[in-house]
Amino acid sequence: MASLRRRAVPYLLISPTVALIAAFLVYPIGSVAYYSLQNRNLTRPWADGFAGLENFRRMLFEDELFWQSLGFTAKWVVAEIGLQLLLGLALALIVNESFIGRGLARSLVFSPWAVSGVLTTGIWILLYTPQTGVLRFLGQPETAVLGNLDTVFPAVVVTELWRGVPFFAILLLAGLQGIPGELYEAAAVDGAGRVRRFRHVTLPHLRDAIVLATLLRSVWEFNNVDLLYTLTGGGPAQVTTTLPLYVAQRAIDSKDFGYGSALTMAGFVILLFFSLLYLRLSRFGEER
Amino acid sequence: MSTDVAIRPGRAHAPQNRSRRRPRPKRDRGRVLRLYVPLGLYLVFTLIPFYWMVVFAVRPSGSTTPVPWPITFEHFETVWNDIGYAVFFRNSVIVGVWSLLATTVLAVMGGYALSRFRFRGRSLFMVVLLCTQFIPGAMLLIPLFTIFKTLGLINNLGSLIVADTVFNLPLSVILMSGFISAVPFTVEEAAMVDGCTRLRAFLAVVLPQLRPGLIAVGSFAFIHTWNNFLFALMFVSRQDSFTIPVGLSYTIGEYSADFGALAAGGVVAAVPVVCVFAVVQRYLVTGISAGAVKG
Amino acid sequence: MKRTTAWAAIAVLTVAVAGCGSGSDPGSEESGKTTITFWDNNGGTRTPIYQELIKRFETANPTIHVEYVGIPIASVQQKYDTAIAGGDTPDVGGVTTSYLANLVGQQALEPADDWLGKSAVNGKLAAPMLDSVRDTVPDGKLYLVPGTSNLDVVWYLKDKLPEAPKTWDEFFTDAHELTKAPDQYGYTIRGGAGSIFQVLAEMYAYSGVTEFFDASGKSTVNDPKNVEYLTKLAGLYKKDTPEADVTNDFPKMVAAFGTGKIAMMHHNLGSYNDQVKAHGADKIGAFALPTGLSGKRTIVANPVDGFAVFKGSEHKDAAWKFVEFLVSKESNSYWNQQTGQIPANTEAQGDSWVTALPHLKTAVDALNDPNTAVVSPPYYLPQFSSITKADTEPLFQKVLLGQMKPQEFLDTMAQKLTDAQAEWKKATGG
Repeated sequence: MASLRRRAVPYLLISPTVALIAAFLVYPIGSVAYYSLQNRNLTRPWADGFAGLENFRRMLFEDELFWQSLGFTAKWVVAEIGLQLLLGLALALIVNESFIGRGLARSLVFSPWAVSGVLTTGIWILLYTPQTGVLRFLGQPETAVLGNLDTVFPAVVVTELWRGVPFFAILLLAGLQGIPGELYEAAAVDGAGRVRRFRHVTLPHLRDAIVLATLLRSVWEFNNVDLLYTLTGGGPAQVTTTLPLYVAQRAIDSKDFGYGSALTMAGFVILLFFSLLYLRLSRFGEER
Repeated sequence: MSTDVAIRPGRAHAPQNRSRRRPRPKRDRGRVLRLYVPLGLYLVFTLIPFYWMVVFAVRPSGSTTPVPWPITFEHFETVWNDIGYAVFFRNSVIVGVWSLLATTVLAVMGGYALSRFRFRGRSLFMVVLLCTQFIPGAMLLIPLFTIFKTLGLINNLGSLIVADTVFNLPLSVILMSGFISAVPFTVEEAAMVDGCTRLRAFLAVVLPQLRPGLIAVGSFAFIHTWNNFLFALMFVSRQDSFTIPVGLSYTIGEYSADFGALAAGGVVAAVPVVCVFAVVQRYLVTGISAGAVKG
Repeated sequence: MKRTTAWAAIAVLTVAVAGCGSGSDPGSEESGKTTITFWDNNGGTRTPIYQELIKRFETANPTIHVEYVGIPIASVQQKYDTAIAGGDTPDVGGVTTSYLANLVGQQALEPADDWLGKSAVNGKLAAPMLDSVRDTVPDGKLYLVPGTSNLDVVWYLKDKLPEAPKTWDEFFTDAHELTKAPDQYGYTIRGGAGSIFQVLAEMYAYSGVTEFFDASGKSTVNDPKNVEYLTKLAGLYKKDTPEADVTNDFPKMVAAFGTGKIAMMHHNLGSYNDQVKAHGADKIGAFALPTGLSGKRTIVANPVDGFAVFKGSEHKDAAWKFVEFLVSKESNSYWNQQTGQIPANTEAQGDSWVTALPHLKTAVDALNDPNTAVVSPPYYLPQFSSITKADTEPLFQKVLLGQMKPQEFLDTMAQKLTDAQAEWKKATGG
């Protein structure tokens, strides 16, 4: 009797979450899958109807932008997550130390997170526009950062970095709190220098946190288009268009819902595949 | 000697803040290079946009001077009166706090289950949680709207609270389970051997060590909700139920791009949150990791 | 213990705050009052204008309460689409002809013909605007009651350019002469979102072509004279215009223009208030697009902005009353005076403030000139929006960057338009 109740405990704990997801996400996600097999354009209802795999065929074999945006998305995610992780980790380590003004430093470091997306893009537009921006004070009055094909990628990477580093910084800082100080003491006693203590004490304890953070954040960066949408509109000439941005332009602006759903499903499958692969390869959750 | 690490059952609080009070001798240059220089550089990078925001907020439109003088408060007036910011602010707080509470509680529950139990369907549950993150919200808009309409929640802040919670949960549950896993189970076991029920052991012994994790997960949930624009605009159709992101988006449009108002609105939106952060970040320590990377 | 008290305090606070949460359900009848909802399709800076008008309306009609909801203009189409799909539409909504076909196609709007026939404003609304609205839908009914229309103008700084150019040659010369390195420019091109409409307006003004489709249904967008213009325009990029132009959407373009370093900017009457705020009313002027090769002034019609009553409304009488109020002389005059656009009410067009605002006077004169030809873009085409946005905006950027020739770009756009036109004719029975 008691063991039955005990076995039910995990299910009880997850039941509210499962209920919410079942109620609010299953049907909507299912409908995206459904529409990916349909022709559905809100403005041309006469062309609506079952399309089978036609949307997917068009996507894979006729749509150059699909592949181009996929390639850019990969570049974007890898660059962002890599840089955010490195900077976030460095910051977490720095503000974990004790020094005067640590509280203030922490609040300031985390503050870009408090800024809404509309505002972030608005301010960075002003920063990058030559006439109103920051570069004229750095001796480069003419650089049209967002309009120049060479500089637009670094420019958008920097903006997203500004916004995204606090996520890693907070998460890794919280993770660092869980490492007992005596482990460092023991390692120091054993003669380990700073770098070796970092590699053998800090990193292993942070491994799960890092794996999770990078995975979740990668998915988020993959799907989140507000910054690119406003800063460059995916341009110039579509060089900064990610797959979800393409979806937003197709499904929402052009109202081609069927094709947009197919693109979304492609994104879903890709993310699922890579998530599972990533978790497997990083040996997540295994006992150290 | 280092601060006491082994948390004995019954001691609800780990010693805290002791490390902060201990004065650290600032003796070596290496510390300056490792600490202050990178920090300083990064702070400059972080703060330039904020400076720009403040400058645009207090400067007359069209001016390009880097140091604003004379200062004008007309943008704040526009934002507070014309656009009706006070209401948006209140709504953002309501939605943010409720979704924060709901997400955190459910995340702790779900995270604990994921972390401490090896139950059937555990992997599936985790994969499902991940999968919910793979579709951008904009594609789910119309079906979600239909569901909320059926529940009668449209035009009610409740729809935003529920929607934001549902979208924050998967990430929060997974992260929380990571934090809980970082606390060794032996600690609870010891408590239970002493006669506590599992729940009491958790509350008394694990929860205090989860404080940084709770802060982190709670902040993420709150910030995602605070910044959410799409749901706030689509699920609500009453002027008095919109949130700050909607208010901010009023300022930039096809016929008018009032950067001054945007900046002023942004300042009004960001300052309280940063202040709350300033208070809350103090709790991102439990003290057991004092001197993690010794200088 | 400190922590528990803190949490308790927070909990109490939130409950208290939530307690003064959302109010009563709109649309309900309270003590004999009818409540109707009105969605403003450009919420924000126009909110105070509507609030004033609503106050006047409610004073004159004490049994009707109007609930105002401001929708940010950048998201208004998505908002309407979601509302229609979810069955939660307002009573009255602000709508423009650029997405009217979309809303009518989803069967969301109530035709205004019957109401207009019996209304006091019958015969008082500008005929070209009414025609424009009817042309947008296959059944030719009036689904939108016009309130205002816009006109493309080029804003210019009077201290840089004492006299506005009258021909395109003068325009190109002025743009060139006013450009002084390193950061003074004569002109700025809108190369980002919203670029195509402006380019179309400029091309047709230059070439003088008066029909969007020729008699056989082919698009005239790639007419040789249009190509000629586009080549000249692309030649300005980076020489007489900033490099940043290629990603210029409206916010970026106006932010740069607002600093006073650029002499001319093509936009429309709607940004008047922004220009005044940034430069001062006496420093900013506007001229309509110069006359081109045909010798006749050719204007591409801007979308007509007005009010529509939704089919799902449960208070249609009250809704129509509100619409009538909004397009009556006083309200229409007040609204357009505040925004600086062209009133739809012909009586309001005669008001003194119209001639007192120089940029508006230019616009109205240009429109009323019998020599002016008006070209109507095919807003009725469902793909018009996607062709002129997602499909061709990136290509225009390629033209500016030198990666695509103007001829090829215009040929591509022309082909898409021709195909869309043929499909539409077939689907609506010609």
